[in-house]
Amino acid sequence: MIKLLQDIASAVENGDSAAVKELVRRALVSSVPPDRVLNSGLVLGMNIIGQKFKKNEVFIPEVLIATRAMNAGLEILRPALTQTGFRFKGKVVLATVKGDLHDIGKKIVGMMLEGAGYEVLDIGVDISKDRLLSSAKKEHPHILGLSALLTTTMTYMREVIEALEAARLRKKVKVIIGGAPVTKSYAEEIKADGYAPDAASAVSLVGSLLR
Amino acid sequence: MKKLSLEIVSRALKLPVCEGDSLAEKIEEAGIPLSTYCRKRGVCGKCFVEIVRGDIPPPTEKESLLMRQKKMPARSRLSCLYKIRGSLAVKIPRGSLFRETNILTTGLRMSVVVNPPVKKYLLKVLSPRILNPASALELVEEGLKRKGLRVPLPLLRKLPALLQDTQGRLTAVIFDEEEILALEAGDTTGKNYGIAIDLGTTTVVVELVDLQTGATVDLATALNSQSRFGSDVVSRISHAFLSDQNLEDLRLSIVRQLNSLIHEMGERNHIPKSSLYEVVVAGNTTMNHLLLGLPVKTLAVAPFNAVFSSLDEFPAIELGLELNEQAKAFIVPNIKSFVGGDISAGILASDLARRPGNFVFIDLGTNGEIVLKKGKSLWATSTAAGPAFEGMNISSGMLALPGAIYKAELGKKLDVFTIGDRAPIGICGTGLIDLLALFKKKGDITPQGKIVPASRILPVTEGITITQKDVREVQLAIAAVKTGVRMMLEKGGLDPEDLDGILIAGAFGNYLNVRNSQAIGLLPAIARKKIVFIGNASLSGAKELLLSSPSRKFLKKMIKSVTHVSLAADPEFQKKFIESLEFPEVDP
Repeated sequence: MIKLLQDIASAVENGDSAAVKELVRRALVSSVPPDRVLNSGLVLGMNIIGQKFKKNEVFIPEVLIATRAMNAGLEILRPALTQTGFRFKGKVVLATVKGDLHDIGKKIVGMMLEGAGYEVLDIGVDISKDRLLSSAKKEHPHILGLSALLTTTMTYMREVIEALEAARLRKKVKVIIGGAPVTKSYAEEIKADGYAPDAASAVSLVGSLLR
Repeated sequence: MKKLSLEIVSRALKLPVCEGDSLAEKIEEAGIPLSTYCRKRGVCGKCFVEIVRGDIPPPTEKESLLMRQKKMPARSRLSCLYKIRGSLAVKIPRGSLFRETNILTTGLRMSVVVNPPVKKYLLKVLSPRILNPASALELVEEGLKRKGLRVPLPLLRKLPALLQDTQGRLTAVIFDEEEILALEAGDTTGKNYGIAIDLGTTTVVVELVDLQTGATVDLATALNSQSRFGSDVVSRISHAFLSDQNLEDLRLSIVRQLNSLIHEMGERNHIPKSSLYEVVVAGNTTMNHLLLGLPVKTLAVAPFNAVFSSLDEFPAIELGLELNEQAKAFIVPNIKSFVGGDISAGILASDLARRPGNFVFIDLGTNGEIVLKKGKSLWATSTAAGPAFEGMNISSGMLALPGAIYKAELGKKLDVFTIGDRAPIGICGTGLIDLLALFKKKGDITPQGKIVPASRILPVTEGITITQKDVREVQLAIAAVKTGVRMMLEKGGLDPEDLDGILIAGAFGNYLNVRNSQAIGLLPAIARKKIVFIGNASLSGAKELLLSSPSRKFLKKMIKSVTHVSLAADPEFQKKFIESLEFPEVDP
């Protein structure tokens, strides 16, 4: 069983969708518990990719392909997971703030979080306070992740946090921020709940905030 | 009407003419670049032809004077004043043709006819007579054969004294045949200069140009002094938008630098600033906004709108530039809000709009600007390549300065070449491209960009290495350009093979190795001879605009026909960008 799970993990890591699907099927037939297929197979594979990405050993295309492979496995696994009462670890809403059209970094964070077992809703780029507020009300996310790649647009993050406070939503959702010009001290200054310098760290950050 | 003939002996041409035709017009119609500097008003005296055979009317007072001055043969007449009465044969001296000067000196050979907006005319203003008490200005206008010229008030105040001191012999400096910029004592027609500026984010180049001959008198290059406020456009915008004082600091910084570069060149060449009548500045949108002291905040925030895209000429003194007090400034227009005047100037200098065939014009800088020309249409876009090609964010990266590795070759071992043949101290953009291509060829870097040796570090030469992160930075920069080119080609429904050429502008110049650039996917894999480096096309365009009034009119119109393409707003961009991150599997 352990060999099978390891094979699933490395198939995810190599982005081999066909192999992932086949191995997940085989695991289910062999009565491996679905949550173990998820956590010790698919998620483990994404974790390895995440670590390698952090060290620049793999790059965005490989992460993307690995995510596709993981999702292919998840499709097969989902019915079994639902039957066993599987729940996501938490819900994350991601957005690039108003005035900023950068997407790729945020997308990677989303992929990594999905890979780690979170429900992720990416609401896009150039997102206003109003849209973030209504998302927070409607979707009830545990985490709101804000991204900005420009020093000129990151100032909008403060406005979002202030708007959440004014709407009395601040206590209901944790706000994490990231992007090239963003720093830990900036996160503290605008009273965000956390900051991560890269996608892999964002996954650990979300984990520690929801613990 | 009687059939008459005009023979142009110096060109072995014979053409039919009619009685009453203007000789100058007929010569122009024959395609000869006759110097009709004053637009055929008989003022400048530049279109003399020698009448070898045919009717020679008595010379006008002006003609006699000019013939004596220029030591012309007695059978010479100004062709613009000559009305044809019978068949004739003429000889056109070289001095009566418009001069041409080179605009691009590398890659494409482009030249332009010297016909600047700023012109000088020598006048002999008659003294007023009691019977015809014309005003001083009317007398000047009479000398210029032009009424209704705009005159700055300070000039008008000095006019009576000037006429008295010079006994009416003075030189008028006219802008676009509409406005008197200066009236100078005596004959100063030989001293007519202008300044062309390529205002780059990193580098500033200032060229002192002789507006009579088109010659480059001097050239000065410096690091943009705004660099201390941030190396790239976004960090300067961020600095500017923190306070009005910061915006003013940025403006003053560049104005002072330009003034000092212009001043030094003037001193070196004994040209007083009063002989500088116009400045043309080509720069990206942020640079021209900062020079004008315009707010830049909206340039870095979607939807990225600028304060202006096109401006008419205005007094240079309003910019704070120290030239002649009445000198003009022309900011090369931007294409909509995004693509800057540097690119407009490049399109002009390379004559992209009128070049038959399909072309891609790329300016490789921090912002990779791409222009596609297909049929009669022009599309322009910009893509954020980031500063990797300028050596920023690269562990051993540096600007293309002495000591930078600009070229590498792989023989038995890796050979590197540095600028100025100095001991290597870092790697600049072109060197980085060579090195990555060579390491990929050797198998030290996979097509995915992974460094194979377990150390994840590739030694280049003593103390200089390429790290895994460096490779990733270059992959991102290449992908931006590659995606941009790909999407522009798709826009035009073209495959790379359909291109007649790729014109590459920018500081990279001839140092960029085509084969290596193709090996890492920066340039499409098309025939090598179709890829042409045209050097600093922005500066060349600025010079052309300074020297040619027709080019300036053409540009103002042409710019409006360019369609701006916003890649960032295209949902396909992200997908294609990610696909473009990998190096090509096979070497070309």
